[in-house]
Amino acid sequence: MSTQSIEYIISITSQDRIGIVYEISSALAELAGNIADSRQSVMCGYYTMILRASFPEAVTRKMIEAKLAEVDQKSSTPLNILVNSIDGPLTSSDNLENRYVLTASGADQIGFVARVAGFCVKHQINILDLSTTLSHGEFVMMLEVDLSRCTSINGVRTALVDFGRENHLRVVLQHHDIFKAVNEISLPIRPKREQ
Amino acid sequence: MRSEDILKTVEMIQKENLDVRAVTMGISLLDCHRADAKQTSQAIIEKITRHAGKLVQTCEQISSEYAVPVVNKRISVTPIAHVGAGFDAAGFIHIAHALDEAATLVGIDILGGYSADVANGVTSGDTELINSIPEALSTTQKICSSVNVGSTRAGINMDAVARLGQVIKELSERSAGSGGFAAAKFVVFTNQPGDNPFMAGAIHGLDQHEVVINVGVSGPGVIARALERRIANDGAENLGLHDLAEEIKETAFRVTRCGELIGRRVAAELKIPFGVVDLSLAPTPNVGDSVGEIMMILGMDAIGAPGTTAIVAMLNDAVKKGGAFASQSVGGLSGAFIPVCEDRYLADAVRNGSLGLEKLEAMTSVCSVGLDMIAIPGSVDAATISAIIADEMAIGMINGKTTAVRLIPVPGKEAGEFVAFGGLFGESTIAPVRSVGKSGRFIAFGGKIPAPIHSLKN
Repeated sequence: MSTQSIEYIISITSQDRIGIVYEISSALAELAGNIADSRQSVMCGYYTMILRASFPEAVTRKMIEAKLAEVDQKSSTPLNILVNSIDGPLTSSDNLENRYVLTASGADQIGFVARVAGFCVKHQINILDLSTTLSHGEFVMMLEVDLSRCTSINGVRTALVDFGRENHLRVVLQHHDIFKAVNEISLPIRPKREQ
Repeated sequence: MRSEDILKTVEMIQKENLDVRAVTMGISLLDCHRADAKQTSQAIIEKITRHAGKLVQTCEQISSEYAVPVVNKRISVTPIAHVGAGFDAAGFIHIAHALDEAATLVGIDILGGYSADVANGVTSGDTELINSIPEALSTTQKICSSVNVGSTRAGINMDAVARLGQVIKELSERSAGSGGFAAAKFVVFTNQPGDNPFMAGAIHGLDQHEVVINVGVSGPGVIARALERRIANDGAENLGLHDLAEEIKETAFRVTRCGELIGRRVAAELKIPFGVVDLSLAPTPNVGDSVGEIMMILGMDAIGAPGTTAIVAMLNDAVKKGGAFASQSVGGLSGAFIPVCEDRYLADAVRNGSLGLEKLEAMTSVCSVGLDMIAIPGSVDAATISAIIADEMAIGMINGKTTAVRLIPVPGKEAGEFVAFGGLFGESTIAPVRSVGKSGRFIAFGGKIPAPIHSLKN
């Protein structure tokens, strides 16, 4: 690989079928693209993938789009593909000090997710990961969140109590470490934190 | 992180009573001895407040970070017989009041270590401390006391056992208005550990750090629910006891991890060493937080029926196996507790007669920690109490394990009547004691039961 390379974020959604990953990754390899990171998920038979790949400077965004469009044409299911170049430095979500898990549960209702997400916006909470499920007949929303931009974690806690009461939700905010501690082999003990 | 892991963890804490039962700060008071009891008391208050001033606040802060309750914040101190050696009983009582004051100043729930170790013999300091126990415990709020009367290496000091039967009677009579409650703050041990975070038997042993944090986990409710789920999912007919033991082991790992994480964080915040996690399954009188309930789930229709001892043995062992891997250093009592008043199912079993002292005694030979929180008739004489203690101490001495006795003779009440102590101390029907008054000649011998032989194991 040349030392000069450009990074792209590529996302693909499609109805799920065998061969999507093979076709996409082969096409990227033909353009000398190096996949650095990827995630995929399937929900109700619908497939989605996001990946980060770097290409030599000579490979332009248009070339990548054209290559992937070829894959789409040959595909038995339509592929929705988006290619974005990464501008500026890569941001990492490795700030483990301030990573918390917020769970909100209550009756399934229109606007549930929006309300919780609205709370996060109001308190400068960045959502790193989000999943929802039904448990014991209740709608449960689980968010991995970064609180490093909050001015006061205690302030968030207080606001959360009010938020839960007003919206008839049970909300719990817990540091991410407790989940690692009870579910993983190694104990997440780091040097003393800054208060 | 998988969402089912998140959900499971949240449910353990929110719905299944997972908590950290006790964060206990051990503090050495060996350097607090002064020319008289008054100055010694001042030195003790100064030292406790200096080290433990931020204990409660730190526990609460870390508890809130993880949303895991820390139910009790406690302190254990150097056995006071060492600290007050040379003072008379009145001097020791002065110290007891100072400890009570210090405990209140730092806002902890309870303080242990008004204690002596007389397994091999009794010093003058030990004698004065033991003589002061009834007044000390009935005139303080937060002080717990314990005396170690035996060990596998030394045997059992039967003079002390005889004397402590009288002490227990006196404790109960001095607190007759509260059902003999002062006796609930006193426990007699064999092989007492110096790093136990649980009361009433917590002490800060002579081989410990200057200051240390020990943690007691809990979680009978979490284990009960995990077993119920497993049985509901797989069907009882498809499960062997080994499968259930495995379920207990995995759950014990999770429970212990909470204690380990919180304990080590508290120690780090306070810049003091972390000692041990005590893997005990500690019940509370709350619904869904019972060790007895686990026995029922594991197949007993009545606690105390044949099979109960085997189940307790399996439970105790599985908890240790899961917990030992979850923690860097395990210590204290580490086993399933069966404190009758503090466990709703056990108290019910005593009420309906399926569980008696004799079966409880058998169960303590395979679990932690002894005849614990058992209300007995106030009319039982001191020598019979001493003889019950001797039996339990013998189990510990011979088997190289910790055993203890915490009996509460309830003044003016007989077997079958009811007593309530409130809060975590719970309530129970008074258990019958059979063959009362038949052990007096044995106790009158006094002296010592020699240390056991360590070969020819049968």
